[in-house]
Amino acid sequence: MGSGSDMVNFNILSPGVAPVLSPRLGKLALAGRKSICTPHYLPLTTRGAVPHLSHDVIRDHTTVGSVYVGLEDSQRNFPLTQQRPPGLRSVIEKEKKHGGPPLYKTPAAPHESALRKFISAPEEFLLIMGARRQPPVACPTPNSPTSISILTSVGFRQLDAEEYIQATRTLRPDIIVGMADLILGRQAGKKRCEKMVDRTHAHTRDATERLYGSSKVEERSKTAYFAPILPLENTQQLLYLEELQDELRDFISGLALYESASLSIIPEPLGTLPRLLFNEPATPHEVLKEIALGADLLTLPFLVKSSDAGMAFDFAFPPPSKSSEQTARPLALNLRSPTNATDLSPLSENCKCYACRNHHRAYLNHLLNAKEMLAWTLLQIHNHHVLDNFFAGIRESIKNGTFEQHADSFHKVYAPAFPEQTGEGPRLRGYQLSPGGPNQPPRHPKVFNRLDDAFDKYAESKSSLGTPDAGSDELESRGFAEKKDH
Amino acid sequence: MSTNTPRKPMPSALTFDLHAKCSTTKARASTLTLPHGPVPLPIFMPVATQASIKGLTYDQLKQTGCMLCLNNTYHLGLKPGQSVLDAVGGAHKLQGWDRNILTDSGGFQMVSLLKLATITEEGVQFLSPHDGSPMLLTPEHSISLQNSIGSDIIMQLDDVIATTTPDRVRINEAMERSVRWLDRCIDAHKYPEKQNLFCIIQGGLDLELRKKCCAEMVVRDTPGIAIGGLSGGEAKEEFCKVVDTCTGLLPEEKPRYVMGVGYPEDLVVAVALGADMFDCVWPTRTARFGNAVTKNGTFNLRHISYANDFRPVDEDCPCACCRPTEKGGLGITRAYIYHLAAKETVGAHLLTIHNVHYLLSLMGSCRQSILEDRFPAFLREFFRNQYGDKSNYPAWAVGALRQVGVDLMED
Repeated sequence: MGSGSDMVNFNILSPGVAPVLSPRLGKLALAGRKSICTPHYLPLTTRGAVPHLSHDVIRDHTTVGSVYVGLEDSQRNFPLTQQRPPGLRSVIEKEKKHGGPPLYKTPAAPHESALRKFISAPEEFLLIMGARRQPPVACPTPNSPTSISILTSVGFRQLDAEEYIQATRTLRPDIIVGMADLILGRQAGKKRCEKMVDRTHAHTRDATERLYGSSKVEERSKTAYFAPILPLENTQQLLYLEELQDELRDFISGLALYESASLSIIPEPLGTLPRLLFNEPATPHEVLKEIALGADLLTLPFLVKSSDAGMAFDFAFPPPSKSSEQTARPLALNLRSPTNATDLSPLSENCKCYACRNHHRAYLNHLLNAKEMLAWTLLQIHNHHVLDNFFAGIRESIKNGTFEQHADSFHKVYAPAFPEQTGEGPRLRGYQLSPGGPNQPPRHPKVFNRLDDAFDKYAESKSSLGTPDAGSDELESRGFAEKKDH
Repeated sequence: MSTNTPRKPMPSALTFDLHAKCSTTKARASTLTLPHGPVPLPIFMPVATQASIKGLTYDQLKQTGCMLCLNNTYHLGLKPGQSVLDAVGGAHKLQGWDRNILTDSGGFQMVSLLKLATITEEGVQFLSPHDGSPMLLTPEHSISLQNSIGSDIIMQLDDVIATTTPDRVRINEAMERSVRWLDRCIDAHKYPEKQNLFCIIQGGLDLELRKKCCAEMVVRDTPGIAIGGLSGGEAKEEFCKVVDTCTGLLPEEKPRYVMGVGYPEDLVVAVALGADMFDCVWPTRTARFGNAVTKNGTFNLRHISYANDFRPVDEDCPCACCRPTEKGGLGITRAYIYHLAAKETVGAHLLTIHNVHYLLSLMGSCRQSILEDRFPAFLREFFRNQYGDKSNYPAWAVGALRQVGVDLMED
């Protein structure tokens, strides 16, 4: 037995055998970490932080016990050969002088994870690291046979497979998602698909060999390996899948999938491994579909997107019985809507989350209008809480054998999509935009122009006033200001 | 302007208990009991401009020890607006904060938006920066808004002009108008039994005008007194003289609030000069720019030198952000703040927690040292930590403290 697969303990609780293509209940346990009952969602981070949730808020007001970290979020320095934006030169030179990404220099004892130390994640959190953040931005530069293209905070660069292995050894996350050669944002041609398989196959073989191949137990990495399954047909990656079942089986502790269709091509000998699905379901309906196909851990980019958009989730599983009227229930409440301006009810009725216990819709409406950061913090707390309950309901329902029936009624009761966003969210970050060419228009209109306009208007209106010391009656008669009743 | 006209009696919704006075300086330790609980003085009040301390939950704010925070009348008047405030039942209910709130009058925004504002006897005419529509803010309107907000301390509308204005006639006019507006505010104030109206001493940097203003306002017997029109770019020596002059004329049994002060050294010197309360957006704003305010000075953690610095933001600081994980804290490092600052909101939240905590605990240590009558020693230690060598001490602070009997230069 190799050292890979016994680091992660994954028990499939229900159903007893593990047929492909059915919802399943499991428990993912690693020594020293909070165990995760599956199906569950894996909270995504940006620069090692769950967006808008500071560490004490996570500890005090959420049940988050695992996080996904993209290595590219901590990469900054470019290789010298690569072309750089001119303004960044000084930053890069400075960083070079200071020698590479600070993340790698985090002091940590041999038994500790440097990544955990760097992002100040609690000891009991399950840390899963991948090369790219989730969802990844498509890079204009192609992957190479030995590297993949990543987006750092100062631009695109290549991440060598070798550097990724080194990073795994240095940072010691609990689980590493193996490097995959993926094509983002476009359909790959037949030739390119073959390359994807060959390269990913090579990455997986090399990495597992380098991490776990040593004859000395103490030299083997303690990080568990989730092998990627490519978003391709079964037949296109047959050789790779076979090797995963045979030579590599002992080294891998789980599978990373990039589309729900891959759930149906997992070979039976790999069926007992936990399945982490990296895709972008747009709604809870799609989440249910993925779970129905046997996904264990899911990534849900719509969570933070909804919080940013001012949406408070309002769905439950099993769903409430359909009321007599025909309209579908909305999946979320748009708190930006002016109808909430004086509404003192909680974000969603009967919710026990911190935001609902302490605040009301009117406050959230005000915070969103005022663009106060607390709006997104409170929405993140609430939306995580709703999802916690949603997944707990799903697990209960699988246990009781009522999942399919409840999923059916969920589709009937709830609207098929989230409500339309109105107004602006927080300032957009580079990773939230697809990279365009040069000379892109600004992301947001200039805020201060309005004030300049107002100043012009004021200068005009002032010139038509009798005297600068005009009383308010005079001003009112000129339509300059409204006198309010006191 | 006369001090003899009969006035509406001024009820008070606070009690002020003076516990101790420094035997050397003019510093005082007291407790101010407001409708939403007791507030230990001296105190720094963090600013929740639009009914939220930037990014912090009210539980996080409570954990910093905050008992009293600010809301801004001008901003709340624009968003969510008076009708919403009335419908919701005030700012406490709006933001879910059950401790005390102080609101300014909106007058200070007239300085910051002076280009757009004209002040007449009636009030302040200005343009809404949100939609450009013209507005008139009168003392009555300001008080009416603050009554709707329901803050525990409300401020009179004052005629604020740039502190450094050279026009003495205008300064005098502003001072006298502020007194007249105080009378209008007192008349307009609907709930003196549950909201405390503070007057604001004006008079620019002219000590004679300040004295005159103190005399006029003290007889109006408001529950508390603010010293306004400072922190507008004046020399620190001038600032100290004004505070010193005013506190010398103010009644001992009332809280004294110096508006818009937030730098740690300004706070401790103003405390030594007899002031009790302070507010400033600087600690929270500067946190968003990646600046950590610490006992050893202010550091910009976005500087490359912190990229590989794995120490806590402020060593030995007991705030949630700096405290090590073994002691129940978050164990955040400078390197991680460097990594997050100005990129993720979480970086701003963490530094905001630290900065607010630092200033609150600085005032807490001030208070303790006054209670134990070792405030001069506290001052020496504070300046030693902030500046290291004595040659770095700011001359204005050394001068001001000498006036109240503490010589930082002697050992």
